[in-house]
Amino acid sequence: MDEWKPNPAIKPHKKRSWYLAWKYKLMNQRALRKLCQTGAVLFLLVTVIVNIKLILDTRRAAYEEEEESAQDYDDEMLNVEVPRHPVSNKKVLDVEVYSSRSKVYVAVDGTTVLEDEAREQGRGIHVIVLNQATGHVMAKRVFDTYSPHEDEAMVLFLNMVARGRILIFTIKDEGSFHLKDTAKNALKSLGSQVAPFLSWRDMWTFVGKKGGEVYGEKHAKSPALSTWGDPVLLKTEVHLTSVEDAECHWPDTELNRRRKRFCSKVEGYGSVCSCKDPTPIEFNPDPLKDNKVFDVPVAVIAGNRPNYLYRMLRSLLSAQGVNPQMITVFIDGYYEEPMDVVELFGLSGIQHTPISIKNARVSQHYKASLTATFNLFPDAKFAVVLEEDLDISVDFFSFLSQSIHLLEEDESLYCISAWNDQGYEHTAEDPSLLYRVETMPGLGWVLRKSLYKDELEPKWPTPEKLWDWDMWMRMPEQRKGRECIIPDISRSYHFGIVGLNMNGYFHEAYFKKHKFNTVPNVQLKNVESLRKDAYETEIHRLLGEAEVLDHRKNPCEDSFVPDTEGRIYVMFIKMEQEADFTTWTQLAKCLHIWDLDVRGNHKGLWRLFRKKNHFLVVGVPASPYSSKKPSSVTPIYMEPPAKEEGAAAAVPVVAAAEQT
Amino acid sequence: MQKINKNVVLALLSLTSLVFLLFQLYYYKFYLSQKNGAAFSKVRGSQSGQDSTRWHVVKKFLGAISSHNIPVYLIDPLILGLIDKDIEQIRSSPDGPSPECKYFCAPRDFTTFALLDKTWKHEVGLLRTAEKMGFQWLKIVNKDPRLDGLDDLSGVEIPLHYIFKLASHAIHLVVFYERSGNYLWHGPLRLKQHMDRKFVPFRKLHFGRYPGAYEKPELLLVSIDDLKVQIPKNPSSFLEEISHSRFLECRYREARAFFQLYPDDGSLDAVEFRKKAKSLLHLAALTLNNLGVKFWLSSGTCLGWYRQCNVIPHSKDVDLGIFIRDYKSDIIPAFQKAGLPLKHKFGKVEDSLELSFQGEGDVKLDIFFFYEEDDHIWNGGTQAKSGKKFKYLFPKFTLCWTEFVDLKVHVPCETLQYVEANYGPDWKVPVKTWDWKSSPSNVQHNGVWPVDEWDDVIQIY
Repeated sequence: MDEWKPNPAIKPHKKRSWYLAWKYKLMNQRALRKLCQTGAVLFLLVTVIVNIKLILDTRRAAYEEEEESAQDYDDEMLNVEVPRHPVSNKKVLDVEVYSSRSKVYVAVDGTTVLEDEAREQGRGIHVIVLNQATGHVMAKRVFDTYSPHEDEAMVLFLNMVARGRILIFTIKDEGSFHLKDTAKNALKSLGSQVAPFLSWRDMWTFVGKKGGEVYGEKHAKSPALSTWGDPVLLKTEVHLTSVEDAECHWPDTELNRRRKRFCSKVEGYGSVCSCKDPTPIEFNPDPLKDNKVFDVPVAVIAGNRPNYLYRMLRSLLSAQGVNPQMITVFIDGYYEEPMDVVELFGLSGIQHTPISIKNARVSQHYKASLTATFNLFPDAKFAVVLEEDLDISVDFFSFLSQSIHLLEEDESLYCISAWNDQGYEHTAEDPSLLYRVETMPGLGWVLRKSLYKDELEPKWPTPEKLWDWDMWMRMPEQRKGRECIIPDISRSYHFGIVGLNMNGYFHEAYFKKHKFNTVPNVQLKNVESLRKDAYETEIHRLLGEAEVLDHRKNPCEDSFVPDTEGRIYVMFIKMEQEADFTTWTQLAKCLHIWDLDVRGNHKGLWRLFRKKNHFLVVGVPASPYSSKKPSSVTPIYMEPPAKEEGAAAAVPVVAAAEQT
Repeated sequence: MQKINKNVVLALLSLTSLVFLLFQLYYYKFYLSQKNGAAFSKVRGSQSGQDSTRWHVVKKFLGAISSHNIPVYLIDPLILGLIDKDIEQIRSSPDGPSPECKYFCAPRDFTTFALLDKTWKHEVGLLRTAEKMGFQWLKIVNKDPRLDGLDDLSGVEIPLHYIFKLASHAIHLVVFYERSGNYLWHGPLRLKQHMDRKFVPFRKLHFGRYPGAYEKPELLLVSIDDLKVQIPKNPSSFLEEISHSRFLECRYREARAFFQLYPDDGSLDAVEFRKKAKSLLHLAALTLNNLGVKFWLSSGTCLGWYRQCNVIPHSKDVDLGIFIRDYKSDIIPAFQKAGLPLKHKFGKVEDSLELSFQGEGDVKLDIFFFYEEDDHIWNGGTQAKSGKKFKYLFPKFTLCWTEFVDLKVHVPCETLQYVEANYGPDWKVPVKTWDWKSSPSNVQHNGVWPVDEWDDVIQIY
């Protein structure tokens, strides 16, 4: 461009004036031309630049658009790529098993899968089941074979484990005292050489495949009664099989896919994982006609008792009228196995980070579960609340369907419960009969949403109050004089024998002989007479018809009630004021029904069956039904055994009452 | 030499410029056609092929859906817009054969359907059928917000969106969930890292940028373009709903942190007040919704929602905001009819209007009317004894849905600015003594009411 810059010394001219004039003229022209030229050049340049810019811009815009096209929709959380477990092609597992007086541990490929050195705990034989293809832990159990009957449980468990699984045994402290021959033979059949000769305080470790080879066994004999055998450490190698060999070949259906997932993870559920003839996991019970509880959500409150949950869900899903879509299982804690059970049945499960401890933890778990239930089913007016250690009667939903309208219409009702605290084998008779009671039994019950949302939820005990939710719900501040409807024969059965407030002895005494309805489609009778006023009429009718028993006899004796069937009898006991249950408690004790606190009463009246006769007990004079007492009859008074014993008994009262 | 040089250079430059000009023209055309793909280039020519593809994809999808008995309904804004124009005709002859493909052939990238979560279960079956039919699908899951408010519950993730793609068309299936407060909710569409960002042009989706809240629609089974499909009974009101359906979840995590710092008041008084405030709010919402008056949570109630997802127990009243343009004279009689007598009325419709109703048991319902200016929004206050006027300034805001005490209500979308304007930067710290004339950080003196107007602008009952 420099080239055509005007040359300052261009063509000298002779005449200055002319030259000047000409020069100016020329310069004007030249300036014009120059201007034009420069203008044109500038214009062109600008065009070029603008064009380039335009191209670049559109390019970038288009590019950015592509880039951003999904940016708005990106997940906020930068999901860190979950490190996948390296697919190990390793065919051999290193297994280490340790047995000693105070500590046991099992390590698989350097990972500790069991470690127990707690004092006063974990005594007996620890059993671990590994998947023979993956080496994953499928079950972990401890059987306290120092105590009776635990060896039977162990044999039962070992029988349920599928062939081919890897079993690891180790003893902590003592494991032989109640190890009977059956159990020893079972261990022997697994390939153990030492098991038949295991004795007092021996240490023992064993690794073997069910129905196959033995990978190792070590044993240390106790030299004397007062001492333990030396600790033993067994190190061995286990050869893994291929995945195909470890799995059953069920037909490829959605159900079997769930089954497969379950069976490759956990052990100890028996025939559900049987290759040949697996037990069904879908039940399709008959639907209920006119089912009024089909849309009622069911909350199953669970902890870490997966075997219980399994049994419970089986019975629940077999009940007529069940709607699996409404069932949610709430698991207190991040336990895998209960969740596996839930998924096996294709239900939805929710896990809950534990808050607080013991009873308060259960209470907080209940609150979260109930709130979540009503959040998940905002249309629901009710919720059915179940626990993982209940069997559910086949007509559970039929029972609720026939009675739920009462809970909707009768303001004086607190709940409908499937459980009759006083309904034992010898005291319950009529599956079609219902009662109104002032106590809340729980154990399978229906909660009204308005009751929960308006009254219970806002003032639910906080975590630092170590209260039981059910005891709290039974308090007069909450119950406000309202009653629950219960059946004569329970629609649930409490089978749990391990639990927060539960043990084998307690279960045997108070739950084992509870009556449980197994008849399908029971038509409830006289449901309308359960309404507040109608029930009074009904009671008066009953008392009017009832024959007064001979009050001179001992009410604990069987002969107190005549050998008849289908009659109505009444007896009167002493009950000075509303809270005087002295005689009732003694009577309950000798009748072998629930006596740990007062249950099943309605205005000082109890209803049960004796020898297939309806048997009414009226507390005089506190009960409004006292007027039915003939003047000639003196109410029976039964003294509590002795003061101290009464005081001592008060402790289990609290502990036991918490459970139900 | 010079001359030639000049000319050559000039010519060269002109040429380049011409080339650039041509290139620019070409590029512009190319860019445009790419941008508005459907709208531009397909006006003529290949149209019919493309159109029938869309129709076929929809037909196939509906086939898959009905084979599994899954009740979906159409919520596509574009098609519903077209349907709405002919709604009378469609309603009157629901089974009439269509002479031409009018709706499902309309140019678009997606067709959007809705699905109620509780009405289906067999996801696996549907996905498998769709696959067999040749659909590619994408499923978007996320946390269940219905469990979010609960301490430490972790449920399974729930499906929020499905996208089924076949040929050049895609079906967007939005999963709606029923939530407490009697409304339907759909989640936002967020892609996880491993997902294919180019599966479909996600930006063009009509649903999923934000979560949304909707009324439960009444449905109508119609036959359009020879396809039987359910649509909302009233498409125009549904379309109207779409435009401001954005939903804000309460900040449960922050609320939990707040309660860690300032433990909740669990006293019986607090429980009682919360219960009353809740029922008052429910009553107020019912009354205003019946009148069709849009309102939002304001002042302390809004703070309670934003800070702790609950009613502040020491706040002693319930505060609502209403735009003055939405004012209706029957608001007062409606509240009186609902059993809430007028307690006081300050200001007038033209200036600083504020209504107070007496709820049950000493809980007051305050309704503030908001006046919109060019760059801010304000509401007024009046001191009864002195006739002094106050003005509370807020930055401009729009309204979003949220859920509060089992109720679907509006809150300002820009809640933080709103709360900060009102309560200052320390809004996170609970204050028990609050003077409405001096405590708010956005209060201004606004003169005094003329004495002759007092009877009108200061009414106390």
